[in-house]
Amino acid sequence: MPRPYPAVPIPSPQGGGIPPVLPVLSALRGLLPRGGLVRGSVVAVAEFGLLCLALVAAASADGAWCGIAGIPEAGMLAAAGLGLETDRTLLVPEPGPAWPQVVASLLDGCELVLLRPPARAPVQVRRRLEATLRRGRGVLLVAGDWPGAQARLRVVTRRWTGLGDGHGRLRACCAEVTADGRGEAAMARTRWLWLPAEDGGVAVADPLDVPFYVPVAEQLRAAPALRAAGG
Amino acid sequence: MSARGLTAGQPSRIMVVSCPELRDPDQSAEAARLLDRVIAVVTGFCPDVEVVEPGVCAFGARGPARYHGGEKALAVRITAAVADLGVHSRVGVADGLFAALLAARASAAGASAAGGRDPVTVIPSAGTARFLAAQPVSVLADQDLAGQDLAGQDLAALLRRLGLGTLGDFAALPVRDVASRFGHAGERAHRLARGLDSRPLAARPPPADLSVAREFDPPEPRAEPVVFAAKALAERLHEGLAARGLTCVRVQILATWTDGRESSRRWRHDGLLSAAGVADRVRWQLNGWCSAGDTQQHRDTAGGVTVLRLAPDLLVRAAGQQLALWGEAVPGDRVARAAMRVQAMLGHEAVLRPVLGGGRNVSDQVTPTPFGDEKEPRLAADRPWPGRVMGAAPGLVFPAVRAAEVTDDAGQAVSVSGRCELSAAPAWLAVRGAPPRRVTGWAGPWPLAERWWDPAAARRRARFQLVTDDGRAWLAVVQDGRWLVEAGYW
Repeated sequence: MPRPYPAVPIPSPQGGGIPPVLPVLSALRGLLPRGGLVRGSVVAVAEFGLLCLALVAAASADGAWCGIAGIPEAGMLAAAGLGLETDRTLLVPEPGPAWPQVVASLLDGCELVLLRPPARAPVQVRRRLEATLRRGRGVLLVAGDWPGAQARLRVVTRRWTGLGDGHGRLRACCAEVTADGRGEAAMARTRWLWLPAEDGGVAVADPLDVPFYVPVAEQLRAAPALRAAGG
Repeated sequence: MSARGLTAGQPSRIMVVSCPELRDPDQSAEAARLLDRVIAVVTGFCPDVEVVEPGVCAFGARGPARYHGGEKALAVRITAAVADLGVHSRVGVADGLFAALLAARASAAGASAAGGRDPVTVIPSAGTARFLAAQPVSVLADQDLAGQDLAGQDLAALLRRLGLGTLGDFAALPVRDVASRFGHAGERAHRLARGLDSRPLAARPPPADLSVAREFDPPEPRAEPVVFAAKALAERLHEGLAARGLTCVRVQILATWTDGRESSRRWRHDGLLSAAGVADRVRWQLNGWCSAGDTQQHRDTAGGVTVLRLAPDLLVRAAGQQLALWGEAVPGDRVARAAMRVQAMLGHEAVLRPVLGGGRNVSDQVTPTPFGDEKEPRLAADRPWPGRVMGAAPGLVFPAVRAAEVTDDAGQAVSVSGRCELSAAPAWLAVRGAPPRRVTGWAGPWPLAERWWDPAAARRRARFQLVTDDGRAWLAVVQDGRWLVEAGYW
């Protein structure tokens, strides 16, 4: 079966050298200002979930090594379904109190590190890790809060399809994802995504297919209907 | 080897040392230890010793006998040395292993009859055929004849019923008739009876100690001199291995502190590490050990390093290294270095690589393998695994299942009967600690009965998928009447 999302590296504008961004799945490109994960930057996702794994998947499939620290519950089967190459993945489920050193070591070897800090990071620790990041040209993806992150993503709403009242099974989930951040990412963007789609990947959702999508005009016209549809 | 310097057809003299008391080393650890010491004693007389079966070992007698002044003298010395351990032994010498074994047994029987005076039986080369011919056919009973159709015991009984009482009678039969009547096993027994047992002894030279060690006197409290010494040690280790054409898969670094504590860790080597690379690992290990303990006070009590030892683990023939052309991802130098640094900080088991496999439960389908170890899934992926949950894979698989409460609209706990009937539709889900959430969709129960033949591992469970009103979906199981949440879909 062909991979649903061929990870096409985005050509660098300078030409030659390493491309300045790590690729992401095509469905996620619209959310990030330069269509990928900018090297040397911190990207924060509000909460660990499939969105984090989806952001890592394309770069991993493209040949990058990926470290996952502090997330013992990361579902690697789902990640593999999204395109993550498990052969090129390092897991450090319990980085312990020395997690900043662990993350710095991982950033030396891996281009992408997905981290859920076990504790709130003090400013000095954040500065030091950001400096390591810029030197090593990697990307730190934080599941949680990271003041000063260049881009911030979160899933606002989600709705699963396929499950009835005592019958069916989970098939796909339609999620509304918003992104904002600093600098060129400051403008908030919102996308509807199938996360995961029925084949386990990620796809852009057509607003007409969204199981509970109600156009704004109609929302205004019939507020009670929204409550009924939104459950 | 015993066959060295012999011409073809010349029989090999075999000496068998048998300790009837140690025939069953399983009965106590003491017996197993004693057996090991007996073999060590015999190895002192001849290095190439084969342990034929528990309590019985054999070696080629020609060389050692010449050195010790005759077979009889050698046998007497061995029995005396073994007797020093408090073990009675019997020795038999004859042409070929089979005859020597019988001779040892004969000396055992004779010795007990004669009050334990002469535990040695030497059958001269010319007398072996006569000695064998006089043996009853029942001695074939406990021989492994490698025959699928006919065991030694059956053959011995059959021969006796045919009126063949001794090996001599049996050996007198023509080979062709024996082969056509008794098959492969019979032919092999016939060869034994004629004294043509030509299996060479599979003697194994004792393994050389290839580990290298350096003692520090006075103990060295700083890491740098230890690392410096480690480099020289690693060079010695590599030279020793290279001289034998070997390489090691892993190298064990063992440091002993003044207070007797030890830090031991195995590192992947694969013949790829230079001496400096091994020294790097020593430094990481020492640093990790120091930072793991509670700093200064800890370091003071530990004193310094007294002994540093490098031991090769899993020796293999050095056959060069062929990297995968494509397919397998080989960790580059940078990745391996980063992973090993983290391993030095947190331990070997702290850095894992996921290996996808099969299984019926979501937690079984991924096998986390420590970095550097062989990657092999616990359960094969290419089996059908009926009963697994189909559809999307969960994004969160909780390493420890979370207790949950599922209630119906009336606030009663939802239960599943033995026939998989639900007491009511689930309406509320409260995962440990979190407030209850409204269930907006659910499916199940999907029953799963695993390993019912193994009481320790058997479990029956019913799985459910639940969606709550915050848009999250959960994989919940009911086991022994309790609700547990295994995974989350978001």
